[in-house]
Amino acid sequence: MKRSRKTLQPGRQRKLLSLLSLPVFAFLVVPTLIVVPVALNNSRYITFPPGGVSLAAVQGFFADQAWTSALSASMQAAGIAVVLGTVFGASAALGLHGRKFPGQQAVVGLVLAPMIVPTVVLALAFYQFFISVGLVGSIIPIGLAHAVIATPYVYLTTRASLAGLNPALVRSAQSLGAGMLSVFRHVHLPVILPGLISGALFAFSVSIDETVMALFMQSPGATTLPVKMFTDIQFNLTPKIAVSSALLVTVATIGLLIQVVYVLKRRSTARMMPLAV
Amino acid sequence: MTTSVIAPATHQPSTTAARKGAIDLRQVRKTYGDVVAVDQLDLSIQPGEFVTLLGPSGSGKTTTMMMVAGFEEHTSGSVMIDGVPVDSLPPRERNLGVVFQNYALFPHMSARENVEFALRMRKVPKAESRRRADDALDRVGLSGLGGRKPRQLSGGQQQRVALARALVFNPAALLLDEPMAALDKRLREHMQEEIKTLQKSLGISVLFVTHDQDEAMAMSDRIVVMKDGRIVQSGPPEEVYNHPVTDWVASFLGDTNLIPATVISRDGEEAVVDLAGLGTGRVRDRGAQGERYAVSIRPEHLKFRAGPDGENGGAGELTSSTNLGATIRHRITVGGHSLQLRELSSDAGASGHAVGSAVHVGWDADKAQLLVLEG
Repeated sequence: MKRSRKTLQPGRQRKLLSLLSLPVFAFLVVPTLIVVPVALNNSRYITFPPGGVSLAAVQGFFADQAWTSALSASMQAAGIAVVLGTVFGASAALGLHGRKFPGQQAVVGLVLAPMIVPTVVLALAFYQFFISVGLVGSIIPIGLAHAVIATPYVYLTTRASLAGLNPALVRSAQSLGAGMLSVFRHVHLPVILPGLISGALFAFSVSIDETVMALFMQSPGATTLPVKMFTDIQFNLTPKIAVSSALLVTVATIGLLIQVVYVLKRRSTARMMPLAV
Repeated sequence: MTTSVIAPATHQPSTTAARKGAIDLRQVRKTYGDVVAVDQLDLSIQPGEFVTLLGPSGSGKTTTMMMVAGFEEHTSGSVMIDGVPVDSLPPRERNLGVVFQNYALFPHMSARENVEFALRMRKVPKAESRRRADDALDRVGLSGLGGRKPRQLSGGQQQRVALARALVFNPAALLLDEPMAALDKRLREHMQEEIKTLQKSLGISVLFVTHDQDEAMAMSDRIVVMKDGRIVQSGPPEEVYNHPVTDWVASFLGDTNLIPATVISRDGEEAVVDLAGLGTGRVRDRGAQGERYAVSIRPEHLKFRAGPDGENGGAGELTSSTNLGATIRHRITVGGHSLQLRELSSDAGASGHAVGSAVHVGWDADKAQLLVLEG
């Protein structure tokens, strides 16, 4: 066996790794965070570097009915996407778990398709579909479309957590007298809950972020925040755009933090329990 | 490791009421495509009886239990509990307590919540269900540990919780699927005794599945030996052990000496056989029919003799002696056969044979069993 001379000690390897990772990390995060100082700028236009600190733009954002209604439209669409996407994705994961039937892979592919099909294709398809069924001019079609693209995320996170399910638990609950609903509540739900939560957060951020479909199906009163930003940035370069960006970054960060805290809490409770054998 | 003893049952089953828990399988068959997992099985478990399905993996023993529990649907035949066919009942309506191989405790529930689960499903009032769960935990020696989560309990304690959970709702019978497989040897032996004591005090019928012949011997009222989806032999442990019907059963239930035999005459109880190289002798017979026969003599039933006296034996040479602690295993070549003789270490001093010396060995006629050579 030839020993590589380039082998480093584990401690030095780690240092080198973090040294290399830092610029990558900065490259990924810093451009996003630039919106925060811009939003807190005291200028009437978008400028960088900012001249001075002021909450004027933030106040202006919340005073402007066009922007607040866009925020509310986004929240409504995200609400529909989270609820329906979670129900669809979790049902698909539970229904396909531990089963084998002909065409199963095709069903899985169908569930995952919204992740793979280009958004603009989906947007056009949804646009035509909702026009043909006469469901336009409200936030509902946007929410429904977002629910479809959120479903694969919930499906994947739920499926991952179901991998840890001991199938004997289902049988033992049945032998103790549990019906289908009780088995779901006492056996499946505790196992898939982490997957459901992270899936729901994914669904939320997918919807909040989605622009193309929301642009196709926009209407007065159904203009989401990214759409409002996109249209405004072409004609009306105000710091309110930066404020809404900062708002989205904040929401995404909160979502991420919830997940981190949840994971850490589970880990620490797991560690507190001595593993008796 | 917990070493507490099962507390006496606080609620003795009423002896006046007709005892329940009879399980009957009639011509039960299970196929997976072309594969026959269980073939035309007939089995009756009497109320209060401890019956063990013993067999290697793939013998159909677990499938049989799962069909009784209702998790597997049989292809044909009928399963009855207390005389009522349950073929169309889902598991939750069969009222059977099941203990699974790795206990299958609900990990997010405390021990008490696990035990209470069946009562919750039966809508038993909270106060009563809590009292009954605590009683059940007392009975398995886990008083005071009800608040612990399964992962905070040792393997033996988890198994006790699983037992309490399976018993708390007064099931018709208890089904145990290799419940001791995950425990170490000492704890396993301890739990065998505890489960047996508990079963006797409750008078509950048990269907037990294992591939461990010692466990089957130690616990059962009746052992049902299975192979390839069929029952090969069924009877009390001593009978199955001492009077196996085939060489396969004899070898599966421990060590044995098999001597090829030619039947000279037989009357169903006793047979006169010619043992190649060992002369003729009388052996026990259970009337099993086959093409080729052999005589099985357990190593502990083969004895050293002082001289060439009596039938059923012969002269040979001691080829090896291995001290196994409690017992000593000798190998003796007699009439062209290499036989195993096992004696207690404490008895060895008296005989004191040296390896290579000439010895006389023999056996009692009622300890030699005529059986069918398979395959």
